[in-house]
This record gives sequence, C-alpha cells and structure tokens, in this order.
Amino acid sequence: MSDTMDNFIGLSAVLTGFASSILAPGLDPVNIKAEYLPFFTAKVAAESGNPQLVDSIFAKYASLAAQQLSDQQIGTAMLDPANGADFVLACRKLIFMWYSGAWPTLIPASASAPASTVSDLISAKSYTCGLAWQVMQSHPMGDSNYRYGYWNSQPPALNDYTGQQGA
Amino acid sequence: MSNPTYDLVIVGSGIAGAIVAHQLGRQGKKVLILEAGAPVPVDRSGYMQTFFKANAKTPESPYPPTTQNPTAATPDNPLGLPDPATENAPRYTVLQIGAWRNPKQCYFDYPPQPPYLKGDSPEVTFAFASSYERIGGGTTWHWLGTSLRLFPTDFTLKTTYGHGVDWPGGQTFYQALVPYYEKATDVIGVSGDKTQLDTLYTQFKVSPSGQYGPDYDYPMPAIVDSLVDQAFDVPAVTTLTVDGNPVYLTPTPQGRNSLPGDRRQCAGNTNCIPICPIQAKYDATVTLGDALQTGNVEIRYRCVASNIRVDDDTAEVVGIDYISYDEHTGDATGSGTVTASKYLLAAHAIETPKLLLMSNKNKNFPNGVANSSGQVGRNLMDHVMYLAWGLAKDPVYAFRGPLSTSGIESLRDGAFRKNRSAYRIEIGNEGWQWAANDPFTTLADFVFGQDTNQLNGNAVNPQGQPLRFNPNLPANSQLFGAQLVDTLNGIYVRQIRLGYLIEQLPDPDNRVELSPTETDHLGLPRPRVTYRIRQDYERDGFVSAKQVSTEIFNAMGATEYTRTPPAPVLYGAADQVTATNFQYQGNNFTFYGAGHIAGTYRMGDSKSDSVLNARQQSWDHGNLYMVGSGVFPTIATGNPTLTIAALALQAADNILQDLAAA
Repeated sequence: MSDTMDNFIGLSAVLTGFASSILAPGLDPVNIKAEYLPFFTAKVAAESGNPQLVDSIFAKYASLAAQQLSDQQIGTAMLDPANGADFVLACRKLIFMWYSGAWPTLIPASASAPASTVSDLISAKSYTCGLAWQVMQSHPMGDSNYRYGYWNSQPPALNDYTGQQGA
Repeated sequence: MSNPTYDLVIVGSGIAGAIVAHQLGRQGKKVLILEAGAPVPVDRSGYMQTFFKANAKTPESPYPPTTQNPTAATPDNPLGLPDPATENAPRYTVLQIGAWRNPKQCYFDYPPQPPYLKGDSPEVTFAFASSYERIGGGTTWHWLGTSLRLFPTDFTLKTTYGHGVDWPGGQTFYQALVPYYEKATDVIGVSGDKTQLDTLYTQFKVSPSGQYGPDYDYPMPAIVDSLVDQAFDVPAVTTLTVDGNPVYLTPTPQGRNSLPGDRRQCAGNTNCIPICPIQAKYDATVTLGDALQTGNVEIRYRCVASNIRVDDDTAEVVGIDYISYDEHTGDATGSGTVTASKYLLAAHAIETPKLLLMSNKNKNFPNGVANSSGQVGRNLMDHVMYLAWGLAKDPVYAFRGPLSTSGIESLRDGAFRKNRSAYRIEIGNEGWQWAANDPFTTLADFVFGQDTNQLNGNAVNPQGQPLRFNPNLPANSQLFGAQLVDTLNGIYVRQIRLGYLIEQLPDPDNRVELSPTETDHLGLPRPRVTYRIRQDYERDGFVSAKQVSTEIFNAMGATEYTRTPPAPVLYGAADQVTATNFQYQGNNFTFYGAGHIAGTYRMGDSKSDSVLNARQQSWDHGNLYMVGSGVFPTIATGNPTLTIAALALQAADNILQDLAAA
C-alpha cells in the first residue's frame, strides 16, 4: 500500500475500533478502501474548501503513530478541537463512512427539530461493506453469508467481527 | 362477442391473477394476462443492485420504475422522487407519504383537508400509508411471507360483535374457504407446524378439534424461532392477560422455505421486505412461471388496461382496452382491445377500482363498470399499525433471521371486539430498522453527538426510566474506537420492536376515486384517495396497543424507547403538514401502513351494497370476476396474502365451472 493508503487505513482503524486486517485484509477482492480513499479525499476537500486538509489529517496521524501511542491516545489527539472544526468533522465523517458505506450531511438543530443526520450511499458495494452490520454481529440486510437457522443461536464473539484481540 | 380469442383475460400478474391463470391453464383453458409493469427479470441481481444502492430501503426500492434518485434531488424534492405524470405505470410508494400534498412527487391525489379541524377530530384525512408494485409478479415481491389463516369470527364481525359487516354467508363462507386455505398453503409453500397452532386454534374455536380442516398440515416444517422471540417468550410476559385474553407467542407460518426444494432454503438475509435475494421466500413469479409453462397462458407486459367495454344489451363484458409502452417514461407504442369469454381483474385494491371507475363510457354504466351499488373504490382499508420499540435487558441479537418469525396471535379475538379493534402483534427481528432507521440513526447519534434515538441525551420515558444508554457517558457523547464499538454493539444487539396490526373497519368514505386533475404519462387519471381513521373503535385499538406494549416491555425487563410523535399539523405549507399523525384521548399517535390494501370492490350478500357476490363475480356483469384483497368485506385480523390465495383458488373453480356451463 502507498503511504497515503497506509495512513488512511491506520487512521480508520484507530477511529472505527476495527482492526486494520478487517478494513484492509491481505487478500482483499472487495477492496472497498480503494473506493473510500479517493471519495473521502474529494469530499473533504470540497466541503472544507481546503485541498490540503486531508494531507494534514494524514500527516498528523502519521506523526502520532510514529510516537508509539495507544489507539486511544491517537484517536483523542486526532479529535482534539484544537485541530480545527473542519479537521475534526472530517475525522468523524470518516467513522460514519466506514460504518455505513454512506456520506453524511449534518442538519443543525432548528426551532422545530433537534440536530440530525442524513446520508447518501456511496455505492452498492459500500452498503454491504458497512461496519455497522459487523458491530451488531450480523450481516448487511440482504447480504447474508450465514446458513438456515443461524438466528436461533448466538453469533460468534464480537472480536471475531472487529478483528480485535482480547476479552 | 361471438368469437372471443381467449377463455379468460386477466388484468394483473400478482399472486391472485397468477393463481387463477395457473389453475385455468392446467385445465387447458386459454388465458391472456395484461400486466401494466415491467417483465419478470431473468434473475433478481438487477433488483438487488438497485436495492443496495437505494438510500431509503423502502419496500418498493428495488423495483422499477425508480422510486428515488439522489442525483435529481432539489431543495424541494430532497429524495429525488420522480414525477408520476412522466411515468406510464406509476405507483404509490412510502417515500411519497411525506410528499402527499405535492402531486409532482406523489402518485395519489388527495382532497384538501376539511377546514377548521383539530388534531383529534375523526374527520381529519391522512396520507394512505401502504404501497404496492406494478411489475410482473406484483406486490408479493415485497411481502413479508406471513401466512396466517383468519379466524371464524373474522367472517362475522357484524353478527358477533356489531361492527363492520359480515362476509357473505358469514360462517358458511368460512367453512367453504377452509379447503382452499389448505390448497393455498401448498401453492405458497408454507413452513409451519400445526401442533404449534393447536393452542391458538382451540382458543378461537377454529373447529371442535382445534384443527383447521381434515387435511390440515404444512408442506414444510416450521421455521426456527429467533433469539428475539425467545426473549419475549418468558413467563413474565406469557402470564399477562389483555382484556381477559392470555398473552402467548405463536410461531408464524411463513411462505419461505425451511428446507431446500424448488426454492432455496431461507438463509436469514433479514430482507424479506423489500426483497429476498435468494427467493427462499415465495413470490408470485413462481406461480406465474407455472402458469406460463402450461403452454396455455400468455402474458403481455407493459400493457396498461385502460377501459372495460360492456355490451349495451347483455351487460356482459365484451373486451378490455389497453395501451402499451416500451419505456417507463416513453411514449405509448400501441393500443388495442382483448376479448375473452370471461374477464378477471386482479390489479390489487387501488388499480382495480381505478380501472372500473375509468370505464365510464358504457351507455348503461355511466358511473363505471360493476358499480351499480356505488361501492367501487369505497371501504378502503389497511391494517393500521402501531409500532413500539425498546432495548431488552440482555442481548437478543436483532437484525438476524427472517424479518419476523413469531407473533402474539392470542389477542386477535375476544369479547373486547364489541368495544375496540382487535390486533395481532408482530415481533420484529430487525431491531429498530423500521422504527428508527437503524443502524444508521444510532450510529449518527454516537459519532456526531446527536440524540435522535434518545440513547445519547437526557430523555426519560413515560415510565420514568432514563434513556441514556450508558449513564457513565455524558449526554451527546461523540465516540470513537473501542468505546464506539462497545456502545453500538450493546445497543444493536438489544433492540426489540413490536408491530400491532389493528383492524380497520370498512368506512364508505375511505375511498379511491379518479383524480379530476392529475394523470399519468398515458393520460389516464390517477387515484384520488380519501383516508381517515374515523372510529373510536379503531382509535381505542391504538390506546390498547400503547398500553400493552408498555406492559410487555416492563414484564420482560426491557426499557421502552417508543418516540412520542409530534402533534398533527393539518394546515399550512405542503412540506409542513403531517401525513399520518393524529391525537386521541390526549395521546399523540402516528400510524404506519401494513401494506395490506383491502376492501375497494367488496363481496357481499346484496347487489345494493357490494360489488361482487360470494363467488367473486360482479353483480352487474356475469362474466366479470375480481380477486385480491379488494374483495375483502373486512380486513380481519391476519395478514391477507394466504386468504387472497385461497380466494383466488376458489374463484378459479368458479370460473372453470362457469366456463363449463357456457
């Protein structure tokens, strides 16, 4: 992978809580990362009006990762408001994109309604790649790899879906 | 006509039309089906791709014509809804509900709200909340698969409880239908276990033995229940009573394969609605294929029936006019008239009455065909739905398996039916997907610090329980990493949802008419729909549903998250008025559609107040028959499809009998 892709996956793993091996498996015929990286880059540039913002996000991540910090420390530093509103919002939208396969638009609170979010799916493939289906220990609705009757017993452990180790 | 081309012309290729076509085709009768919509595709992968890409995964989202187009979105059309005036076979979709006051986006035309009403007035009109398909195979493409039989008292609501009407002949009708239920179970391929239904059928006196007819069984074993079902099936819940009735779960007989066979074995895609990706669930393309394979059945797709011709002297139907097209938004490519000995309308409960009403050029039938009673289009019904949702105290692993595998059927009948609507309770396996558009809403809440689903703020439910999921987190938390994983997991795996299918009474003012102003691209009038929930009887069903949900959730130790809907907004800008909100006894309610459109060409005992006799034959035109849930005099307490199939099988026998006698 390129440095940019390495940083994209590394940052995505920290922010989503999923292992890099789940986001970008060694054998990756689906290869959703190749769709997400250019999409994310273009969207952040367009929405922030700052073509350098994505580079600065990845650079910040790379420098934090080089310091042997924990994922928790890196994530906290990336989402620090001191980085600027656009920087932090782009990182949060990155989380949403990985979990849903869609790009969010935040609707601020109004006199009649609280803040909410709408989103546009990026592609048919991205829908089925949403991590939300994995974090619920299930499958995308309409795209099950399970067999008859699986719903009658407990699913595999959450870590099997997130690729994380430990309890 | 002296030399008709076919024995039977059918309008519509859904389950009812396909069953009749197959039954006649296998007897060597020549049948032509006119289908307004697109052909059955060679495989369903194209529909699946459309579904995957759709932002709103509504029941209609996989099917043509397109229901939503984000690239065509504008500020006043954020979902990119197509203009029905540009489509040759448009249909109503649930995305149109919110746009119900805008005919540029909504296929149905609605009359203006009567003036000076309050939110609790029974005269308030609403958007209709259910939809249908106009494609080869019809609406079973997006049905759930629930294959329940109605109870004997469902056929005698007037005689037994003093409400609505009886089905023609009442108990006699029911008894005659029993063997057809058996046959319908085979046609659909229902998975079920009759011993699981013994308690229920004994409670409701289906027969002295508690069994549903002498040959009663299911062709496949029952679908296994879900962990969600098991969370409800605990003594604290099953010792509850409601208005004297016991509460207990019944595994749902379902039109999906529990064993591999002609169709694949269900793999639990949790997507029965909008589309089963592997056709483990029955849909009418199965029967339509069987019909076509008899060699006696033809189908013409993209042929929209536009007029029924009636002989001035005999009052017999002598032809059906149609308009053909090639592209959804293209020009008409032809027109013609098809003729047969007998005619069958099977275009569901909106398009069938529309066709009858459009056929108003016949000298002796100026109010439309089959409409001497004035009942065509009236008594539009649905199961109006109340949804309740919550979090179970322990994981139930929602979002797995078929969308529903069990229900509470034990509240479908009882003395309380003198006072309020009965209902069945469907137990959802899809978490808060229907109720709150999860997983995406809760995701946004915890990524962006919002609180739409009440899990990330300071909301307290009416039982006084704080709703913040993790009291150790501040309100409006914005999470990432392991904490986000654990929080979302903890929520999603506990999500539960109940849906109440409340029996709506026939109301002659709930009706389908012809729009005086709006047309489709072929120039045919669009439906004008007037829809109310007018009776306290029905509204009391909502009050009961709300109370019972809270009791069940409390009993099982769950926390209720049902959102109280906003008060109705009846007047103002088209995008500001509410569509399905009402008030009753101080409660704000919203209702949902069950997709069970019924009643608009009902059967009855008398020519004066019904469209069809008990043989599903027009009182006015002896060679015209109609099938589908539009024939239902009442919507009853079970999902309609099995009854639609049974009635279609019965109608096929009637038509065969009449063809033999001719």
